[in-house]
Amino acid sequence: MSKLKDILSPFTAWNNLARDPVTIKDPINDRPGAARYRGFHQNDIEKCIGCGACESICETGAIRMVEVDEVETKEGDSGLRPEVDYGRCCFCALCVDICSTGSLTLSNEYIWVDEDPEAFTFVPGIDKKPWDNNQDGWKKPEPDYELNIKERVRMPEMQAEERENSFVEIVKGYSREQAIAEADRCIDCGLCQATCPAHMDIPDYIRAVREENLKEGFRIMYKTNPLPEVCGRICTHKCEDVCAMGHRGDPIAIRWLKRYIADSVDENEYQEALQQENPKDKDKSIAIVGAGPTGLSAAYYLALMGYSVKMFEAQPRAGGMMRYGIPEYRLPYNALDQDIDYILSLGVDIQYNTRVGKDITLDALHEKYDSVLVGTGLHAGKSTRIPGTDHEHVYQAVDLLREFSKGNEIPISEKIVIIGGGNVAMDITRTLARLQNQKYGQVNITTTSLETEDVMPADQEEIDEAREEKVNLKPGWGPQKIEIENNKIKGLHVQRCLSVFDENGRFNPQFDESQTDFFEGDMLIEAIGQGMDISYLSKSIRDGLDFTQRGRLVVNDYFQSKQEWLFIGGDIIQGPDVIHGIANGHKAARGIDMYLRGDLRYE
Amino acid sequence: MHQFLKEIQNRFPIHDVKEQRKNLTLFTTEKEQVVPLLTHLRDHEGFTHFVLLTAVDWIEEDLFQLTYILNNPEKKVDLGIRAYIGRENASMESAHHLWEQVATYQRELKEMFGIDFPGSPRVDEEFFLEGWDDIPPMRREFDSKKYSEETYFPRPGSKSHDPGEYMKQKLYSDDYEEEE
Repeated sequence: MSKLKDILSPFTAWNNLARDPVTIKDPINDRPGAARYRGFHQNDIEKCIGCGACESICETGAIRMVEVDEVETKEGDSGLRPEVDYGRCCFCALCVDICSTGSLTLSNEYIWVDEDPEAFTFVPGIDKKPWDNNQDGWKKPEPDYELNIKERVRMPEMQAEERENSFVEIVKGYSREQAIAEADRCIDCGLCQATCPAHMDIPDYIRAVREENLKEGFRIMYKTNPLPEVCGRICTHKCEDVCAMGHRGDPIAIRWLKRYIADSVDENEYQEALQQENPKDKDKSIAIVGAGPTGLSAAYYLALMGYSVKMFEAQPRAGGMMRYGIPEYRLPYNALDQDIDYILSLGVDIQYNTRVGKDITLDALHEKYDSVLVGTGLHAGKSTRIPGTDHEHVYQAVDLLREFSKGNEIPISEKIVIIGGGNVAMDITRTLARLQNQKYGQVNITTTSLETEDVMPADQEEIDEAREEKVNLKPGWGPQKIEIENNKIKGLHVQRCLSVFDENGRFNPQFDESQTDFFEGDMLIEAIGQGMDISYLSKSIRDGLDFTQRGRLVVNDYFQSKQEWLFIGGDIIQGPDVIHGIANGHKAARGIDMYLRGDLRYE
Repeated sequence: MHQFLKEIQNRFPIHDVKEQRKNLTLFTTEKEQVVPLLTHLRDHEGFTHFVLLTAVDWIEEDLFQLTYILNNPEKKVDLGIRAYIGRENASMESAHHLWEQVATYQRELKEMFGIDFPGSPRVDEEFFLEGWDDIPPMRREFDSKKYSEETYFPRPGSKSHDPGEYMKQKLYSDDYEEEE
């Protein structure tokens, strides 16, 4: 019996003939890598922003960030792309795991023969390869594998109920541990620096936070921005919009880190930290009209260059919109004063309550000073000019904010309607909400804008916080008419706004007349934008200036006007925001210096 | 698995038991217990197949972690036995007498981490890194970038740029000057 089995059993192997082989049919030509194999690189060129995180992490120095013709350098994209040297690459895939956008992946291709050794150094995605479209290979494992920390450190803030009738600053500022943890998220790519209007050295001051070298961070900030207490609080933070970390998570809280550094240096330590003085070794003097961000920034840099600087300010205090526009709960006066006091301490002279054009003429300044910089901003509120706006209880937001900042009483009624969707609209809304709470114990404000919420120009946090403070926001409505009965305001008629701008980007709102609403109120405030008041330019000066067809003043790259002694910057020219003003002031200061040395013409 | 682990626990000091997945359980034991435990598992618990031996360098704790993976072909389950040994003059009892191929893994760990297994056959011979003249490369203090730069000369012609500096040159070099 056993003999028969011995004879037959080899034949049972014949069963296997019908089975699929587990081996590869043609191993010489066909050797696919496993689905997660780490082979040659692929890079999605459109998605890559050239941040260089791959180069920084590469453990073998196999990656270099190189120039490529196919990609342009622009805000948020360095234009550089990683080149991989396969003589060094060890296929560890850390470059893929750290990639800030997820553009870099590894294909599962690992076989490549070439007689030219130089061929093994190439730029994935730019130099086309057969594996560019391979779906398999090593990708960043989703969703919970991440080398970068996606969430920013949350900023402690006063809760809505604590703040609703108080003007105490809402944002509390990072602690040491929080700041270091947030700074630690920065990958030090420097993409933000080009976008910052002042080109602040952001990676360097974030490194200073990480390394707890705060005085050094403070000095770094002052190189490009002498108002860090202000910008650490209310900067429009364009830098954060292009932050590499923002592609897959929260951008680094750059603004809050700046504030952390600024707050860490005590007012009486400024001199010791910065060690600056005005050498006053130049015999030229400069007049600055308007002590806002532009004027203060220019004054600071001109003083350090050794010029005598005299500022003329229409209001009783310096700061411009920073003091008379932005409410105290966003920017406390002591923080603003800390920045301003230091600039003035460098021997900058300032004359308050002096409106140029009224108390002294610009021509007189031209005669007395070697150069004049004007940064008078946008302080004249614009009107919707709808029927009823001439009523005495229709106000301009900027006028009320200014009066309130001066400590004067401002009108406040029980039911208020506000028109506007920008930050000024939010500022007046939230200021009045606090005052209503103080006076009437409740908020009754309707704030309406042409723009729907997704395109409202106000910062999202302003919108959210206004809502938390119980304001009734009504975005997407166009004001039509103010209802007035017996000379008393009853409210505002509106109709649905379908779009605000036409396809050329021009302001041209379209309405749906069939959809209307009525917002009740006994007082109405317009906050739809501000215009400039340049009535101080006499006819002879004005005739010597260039204007665009649309009436904008023309200046050169250094903010020098066609009247070469006259420099113009700030909201009148660019922005409007504080950081553009600071950047303009800095550049104008350099322009003035060049002009006074005979090195700058308008052209 | 639970019943089986309880029995093991009665005989050996094991801790940090973790069921990584249904057919793989990991636990940690003391350095001195590893070889007796492996012997017990092989001879009495059906873990007759040795899968692999590997190491992790926990430089901050000044420890190497050794992981032995065994397989029970009958029950189709894996066990991972971990133990920690000091980094300095790192040395571990050899397990090559249990499975012949362990010697190969131990030779690899000697080369890559510098962990000695006295008595293990050919443990001091070169394994993978022919002509290696530096510290064992899987030790975390080994600077792979420095080694790479010194050993593999860069291809000529390409130049690396710092993204921030490059953007400054391209977009705004005129706006920004160091002022002292």
